[in-house]
Amino acid sequence: MLTNILAISLGAILTNNFIFSQFLGICPFLGCSSKVDTATGMGLAVVFVMGLASAICWVIDTYILIPLGLAFLETLAFILVIASLVQFVEMFLKKSVPSLYSALGIYLPLITTNCAVLGVVLLNVQNHYNFIESVVYGITGGLGFMLAIVLFASVRERIEFAEYPECFEGFSICLISAGLVALAFMGFSGMKIF
Amino acid sequence: MNIKKQFGEGLVTNNPVLVQQIGMCATMAITTTLFNGVGMGLSVLIILTCCNVVVSAIRKIIPGEIRLAIFVVVIAGFVTIVDLLLQAYIPALSSALGVFIPLIVVNCIIIGRAEAFCQKNKVSACFFDGIFQGLGYTCVLILMCVFREFVGSGKFGGGLIDITNGLRFTLDGTGSGIQIFPSEYGAAVMNRPFGGFITLGLLMAVMQYALKKNAKKKALAERAAAEAAADKEEDE
Amino acid sequence: MNGDTKKILRLTFILFVICAITAGILGVVNEVTKDTIYMQKNAKTIAAYSAVLKSDRYDPVEFDSEAFPTIDEVSKADNGSGYVVKTTFPGSQSTITMVVGVDNDLKCTGISIVEHGETSGLGANAASTAEVGVNFRAQFVGQGEDIALSSGGGSIQALTGATQTSTSVTNATATAITVVKSILG
Repeated sequence: MLTNILAISLGAILTNNFIFSQFLGICPFLGCSSKVDTATGMGLAVVFVMGLASAICWVIDTYILIPLGLAFLETLAFILVIASLVQFVEMFLKKSVPSLYSALGIYLPLITTNCAVLGVVLLNVQNHYNFIESVVYGITGGLGFMLAIVLFASVRERIEFAEYPECFEGFSICLISAGLVALAFMGFSGMKIF
Repeated sequence: MNIKKQFGEGLVTNNPVLVQQIGMCATMAITTTLFNGVGMGLSVLIILTCCNVVVSAIRKIIPGEIRLAIFVVVIAGFVTIVDLLLQAYIPALSSALGVFIPLIVVNCIIIGRAEAFCQKNKVSACFFDGIFQGLGYTCVLILMCVFREFVGSGKFGGGLIDITNGLRFTLDGTGSGIQIFPSEYGAAVMNRPFGGFITLGLLMAVMQYALKKNAKKKALAERAAAEAAADKEEDE
Repeated sequence: MNGDTKKILRLTFILFVICAITAGILGVVNEVTKDTIYMQKNAKTIAAYSAVLKSDRYDPVEFDSEAFPTIDEVSKADNGSGYVVKTTFPGSQSTITMVVGVDNDLKCTGISIVEHGETSGLGANAASTAEVGVNFRAQFVGQGEDIALSSGGGSIQALTGATQTSTSVTNATATAITVVKSILG
């Protein structure tokens, strides 16, 4: 059990990193990585929502959808759960933990369309994870996302001082640098996980 | 809004991936064989067109406050339909694309078009918008697939084209493709995530170069025309 | 305030109606495609089954699922030639689903990897239809319960750069043979 959880965590953070090997959540990854501060904020928000969404969607899937034979409604149910969850978390934070809200608030609405969140929930179902494994995969997947986005934000802060051909401006040069970071992450794929 | 203009916008000047720069996850993840690329592109095209038409048809009766929620429900509905149909009739494609089929729900192209275009336009215009934007997306996928497959494994049309018994198209993903050079000499890294990032980055750069050059040419031509007009006035 | 509540109720109602319509349509599509999907999935399993042990039919048999958590299903070949074991276990990067054929003398008749997410070009070679994959899987035919990698005193040559995947597949094959042994008693 413990080794299994460790394997899931290491896999989600390093070897099967959501950004660099599974391509989930590229849009916010490119959109929010221009500064390290914003990247950290976005990363934290994603960890939070991915963990919560994994837990709630697992419960809904196992105790409502599958017993009723409604597994084909999974995609629809999950996206609605994620959207309302994000709304709810936003309202809750605004009222009860204003300090956290001011740090994460602006990133929360963006998360609804972050495919990493829906992706992690769907992958939990696909991999037949149990409750604990799902939550661990959700949180560590989010941590992997955060690692990627923070690392990449530091790379981007340097790109600003670099000289490159005019036509590479914008996302183009970012994608190419992201490719180089992905190349570095490929090194982890040789790593043994038990 | 005429069809010709929409066609140009979807394919080139307002291309969803290269110019609007949205919907990139699947673009980079699945473009390893032509089979995946064409399959994903056509799935998105169908879903986008259906969603556009439905959103445009109900645009007057839905309340503004909950329009995004309704869009998401409509999109999720069509995505699930396509997902089920693929599982039933083209299982090879369904297993090759895996989680990226249900993830079309959060593909910004679809919700983006619903929000930006279909809310304000007639059903017919939205129908063509769906087709052309979908085609633009498919073209980008195909370009990336062809490039990555060729550089990565020296092949063309893996999964989709089979030449063992004469040229034919396979829908079950078993076609071996046309081997252009032995796969040992391919840069296997192109089939990995690295290849996805680099290919899309280069493609965007080429697009920006072309658009900028075009814009410059236009500006020059306009200036020349303006100068000519001014000269003419002076002459008179 | 009253007006607000009314508005919220109205919006909820509209959203609910749209969800209900969508769910209804999906229900119909699901009903239509359900059997085909089931058959497609089954066809894949049967194809995998007959690739490792030829038979027209396979009947599931009981086994001790507590003692063998990685085993999904054990089926007896209808022609009495042996058993087919379906097993899901962690590989190096992903969960691998594999089918193992075991004859009545507890020798492996072949393995077939149904699903996996191993590194392409390395671990994925175990499932590949190219020569490297075919040769790798061919080594398993005729192996008994003491199957092991060459580094562990056995005769299975690991795939280049994919020791972890090779080890998992080898161990899973051994477990499959053990479960059949426990059934044959």
